[in-house]
Amino acid sequence: MDVVLSENQTLLQQATRRFVEQEHPVVQTRRLADAKAAFPAETWTQCAAQGWVALFVPEQHGGMAGEAEGAVDAAIVAEELGRQVFAGPFASNAVAAFAIANAGSDAQRAQFLPGLASGEMQAAWCFAGTGPQAGLEPGALTVSDNRFSGSAGFVENGANAGLLLVTARDGQGLSQFVIPADHPGVSVEPLRSLDLGRGYATVRFDGVSVDNGALLGQSGAPGGNFERQLQLALVLQCAETIGLIDRAFEFTLEWVRQRHAFGRPIGSFQALKHRLADHTAEFEAAKAAVAYAAKAVHSSASDAAIAVSIAKSQCGKQGVEIIRDCVQMHGGIGLTWEHDLHFYLRRAVANQSLLGTPAMHHERIAALAGL
Amino acid sequence: MTLATCEDRDTDELRAFRLKAREWMAGRLPPRIPGQPYMDWTDKELVAADRRTQRILWDGGLAGITVPKEYGGLGLTRQHETVFGEEAAPYRLAWHLGNNYNIVQPVLLAHGTEEQKHKYIPRMLNGDHIWAQMTSEPSGGSDLFGLITRAEKRGDKWYINGSKIWTTGGEDSDMGLCLARTDPTLPKHQGLTMFMVEMHQPGMTVRPLTLVNGTQDFCQEFLDDVEASEDNIVGEINGGWAVATTQLAAERSATSRGWYIGVGASLPRERIEIASHPVKLAHELGLAETQRARQIVGEVIALEALRELVAQRASKGIDAGTLPPTTGGVASLASSTLNQRASELMTELAGPCGVTGPADGGEPEQGMDRVWLFRIGGGSAEMLRNTISERHLGLPREPGPGKDVPFNQLRTNAAS
Repeated sequence: MDVVLSENQTLLQQATRRFVEQEHPVVQTRRLADAKAAFPAETWTQCAAQGWVALFVPEQHGGMAGEAEGAVDAAIVAEELGRQVFAGPFASNAVAAFAIANAGSDAQRAQFLPGLASGEMQAAWCFAGTGPQAGLEPGALTVSDNRFSGSAGFVENGANAGLLLVTARDGQGLSQFVIPADHPGVSVEPLRSLDLGRGYATVRFDGVSVDNGALLGQSGAPGGNFERQLQLALVLQCAETIGLIDRAFEFTLEWVRQRHAFGRPIGSFQALKHRLADHTAEFEAAKAAVAYAAKAVHSSASDAAIAVSIAKSQCGKQGVEIIRDCVQMHGGIGLTWEHDLHFYLRRAVANQSLLGTPAMHHERIAALAGL
Repeated sequence: MTLATCEDRDTDELRAFRLKAREWMAGRLPPRIPGQPYMDWTDKELVAADRRTQRILWDGGLAGITVPKEYGGLGLTRQHETVFGEEAAPYRLAWHLGNNYNIVQPVLLAHGTEEQKHKYIPRMLNGDHIWAQMTSEPSGGSDLFGLITRAEKRGDKWYINGSKIWTTGGEDSDMGLCLARTDPTLPKHQGLTMFMVEMHQPGMTVRPLTLVNGTQDFCQEFLDDVEASEDNIVGEINGGWAVATTQLAAERSATSRGWYIGVGASLPRERIEIASHPVKLAHELGLAETQRARQIVGEVIALEALRELVAQRASKGIDAGTLPPTTGGVASLASSTLNQRASELMTELAGPCGVTGPADGGEPEQGMDRVWLFRIGGGSAEMLRNTISERHLGLPREPGPGKDVPFNQLRTNAAS
């Protein structure tokens, strides 16, 4: 994260690291994967009690948004979760809480925010389409007269969420809704995921009809709220990738210092040292970009959109490059199921490909630059 | 960042200095001409003009801001120098004399005798002397302390023989800081001595080097019994390693500050600056609607922004003490790597238009970047990777002979 943190942020970072290392180390993700089990709902309430989702929830609804620096603090949490390839549904709930706190009516805030903050309620965000180009824009969902149809793809936590945040095209603008996942006409189809610690689903809407109470904010609105939600989701994804790299790099450094070949530590060979130096440089640039983007998103700065795409460009690409090379430097052991590295690499690859590939973000940057 | 916000940081005393400098500069210093290079040693008139500018500063009592008063300077702080640089933004300063204030002054202040400091520092401050650093040799640059130029004492004089290379401004320099081997029977770090040599003397042949981009900023020197007196030795005989270490640290420090006083390379910006050159090129080439071109433009903008962000992060973290000082080297490697990638993409974007151009124009820009942009100057990227892996990541050194072996038993690139 940023090189200068407030006292509260340092405490948040330390407390989160301690909690995740003790309660949810990477071996827990491995156990869930081996058992092909979802992250238990009651375990999520214990995690939410740490105040992670509450960072976006106002005090009157059981949160602490007033004292928090939203996206910046949440990025600190996401980075720590990445260090252990945490399997729980942080980002999807954080984005839903942010969206409802940001655009919801008093009734919606009172109805959903306390449950999201405490973890008793889980949400998923349906917005993208289902094809290879999906991830950055509201996709195939269209709405007219509060009736919508279509399929949302790559929905994180889609199979476990009781609540769906839905973004759909509405004429020239966008409409957002919050509906229960068991609403008539909604069907959820879980997907097999490369990331063994995180589930995705396709959510189909077959002529779903909702009343005005489900509408979040104005109907047919310009895309400002959608863009801010997307920016937050991207900051959390990138911060998580920073945590993945950080931990994978840590145990790779440890490995090359301890492992001997030809009578000396393999970390004394320039063939490895120079690559590790290059990775350090790229990683430092990635950290700089994410720290900047988190601040820009939190303060709704004029360059927040371009900042998150720059962060995604660097984190998406380097997360995979660096962790792949960590595997390479481990030699054969890195390719075994029992080594933790593949959990890191799987999530890094997933994070690269979801919410827009680096190439898609490059196109977005060009458009934002006026090309 | 505007001038107003710089001033907000000033103490009363700094503010007084700022106003004094601002008032004095107006009408006295030459204006900065957009597009004019900071340094061009083939432009003899510009070199001479820079000497005159230094003289103007000296006469006005504004030369050597951080140099102690007893040696002709102002004895002020680095912050005063920064303020001075900010105020000098509209003007051209004596940038061809960069070695004087960035390198030689700190070296002499740390290792010189009182007599040496009194003799040489004022002549740097008044523009009489331009100094060169004679460090690298044709036999090797990365292995600096493996140098083979020799100095021998005959009678009460020292005589230096060998060759130096990559000397910035060697032809126009009056004095040079020259590291030479004085005892080859000692291990390589221990047998070196630092000399101050007069550049214009019999036995010294200076030849400009023409680089692939046509520039002639560097020279090679051939030293054939070049003379130096005992008074010209900086530090101890066979103690040149310590002096050179200060010299290298001064170079790194100056480079991270931007080298040219008044250019303000590292002023923090409030928001991300969007590079305009890839957007402009895509429009010029009619590629604005092409998907691959749009991807390249976006990536180049990202890479340029990342260079700025990583530099800012490193300096902020080092200042705050939350990142180790070695992060400076990490940021420097990141910057050059990102820059290389950006230039690769710009060449791809331009395609055949990047390797051809009008017959009466300059080198085709995008293609030339691929021919020219390398990471050699100021230490190759490979040396930087060694430093990062050993000092920043704490990895073991590559084993090798050297530390305790007499230099004359090591294999070198000396002509046999």
